[in-house]
Amino acid sequence: MSEEKVATAIPRPSLSLDTWAVITSFVLALLVRVGALKHIPW
Amino acid sequence: MATIALPSQEAQNPFASVARLVPGVLLLAAIGFGGKVLEQSINGYAKVHHLVIPNIEYVLWAIAIGLLVANTVTIPQVFLPGIATYEFWLKAGIVLLGARFVVGDVLKLGGISITLVILEISGSLVLMTLLGKWFKLKPKLTSLLALGSAVCGVSAIIAAKGAIDADDEDSSFAIAAILALGAIALVFFPLIGHALHLSDNAYGLWSGLAVDNTAEATAAGALFSDAAGKVAVLAKTTRNATIGFVVLGYAIYWASRGQAEKVTNKAAFLWNKFPKFVLGFLAISLLVSVNVFNKGQVESLANLSRWAFLLTFAGVGLRTNFREMSKQGARPFIVGALGEVLIAGLTLGLVVGANAIWKL
Repeated sequence: MSEEKVATAIPRPSLSLDTWAVITSFVLALLVRVGALKHIPW
Repeated sequence: MATIALPSQEAQNPFASVARLVPGVLLLAAIGFGGKVLEQSINGYAKVHHLVIPNIEYVLWAIAIGLLVANTVTIPQVFLPGIATYEFWLKAGIVLLGARFVVGDVLKLGGISITLVILEISGSLVLMTLLGKWFKLKPKLTSLLALGSAVCGVSAIIAAKGAIDADDEDSSFAIAAILALGAIALVFFPLIGHALHLSDNAYGLWSGLAVDNTAEATAAGALFSDAAGKVAVLAKTTRNATIGFVVLGYAIYWASRGQAEKVTNKAAFLWNKFPKFVLGFLAISLLVSVNVFNKGQVESLANLSRWAFLLTFAGVGLRTNFREMSKQGARPFIVGALGEVLIAGLTLGLVVGANAIWKL
């Protein structure tokens, strides 16, 4: 067998929607905690 | 032969993936914010002119505008990926909603919810299975409808589809029935709740237990009151947490009949199906309970949750297309509707009973 190298495209393991939602929420919570987001009005 | 792995083109270009979402997310934001502006404008007008008119919440406006758009014009393709993010906003909203619960509330209401959820799931599974048999639906379609109505709507059906090897047509039927019934619940649940003078906690528990899809359960709760919306999410999240166990039961049943693949690693199966946003919700609630955030910061987190739900409610309206639903046929819808009415009655009885015991 030759040492020929073949490039194959494989998808990187992706995060689930739930995990993205948790990460985004925690980043927002961190920004609120450190004062980068001072007041979110409603 | 040696191989080297290259990341795929799509994975190399995350900015392009995010850019595809922008038009649809802006549409969700415009519709949701439009609903909020409409509510405020009508209330402001009524106040200035001393008119007494019923307060129509932004939730209903956002859903109604979304419904109007989805059922009158063909939404251009460019908006579709972003509109599909409404589920992401729903889950982020639930995680951030944890800021409005201290752990004591979660334990008290969550404990009551778990008891009621076990009763609701058992009753719903039995009821839908019997109705499916009486109406001679295909067994796997019956399983999907039972899972959708007992646990958590579309997510449960999608989770079960692969696990019990159901075909695409059955899944589409079950999803269409659950979504149509969720839309109907949005109209009738608040009316019934007000007619019976249910408390915020009792109504929230009822809609969290009886409305199948998480987005519709959240909206049905919020349509009654802000406090009821909060409790509806807690009850619905408790239901969602059971998804892995119920789907695993069905997967084992169908595998034992040689009609689905065997589940080799049950722990991995349960973890894969477990909705991770439930853990995020509990973590935020815990952080708030140990005073990691001050009062103003808790208010900001609660408002971020409200904004996320605003996009969700717009998405609920936009993805409800009555023309598409009517193409799915009447029989699964009739079974679903009959089942839902009975489940709504059963869960209402459970909530009234719980109210008598625990004074909700």
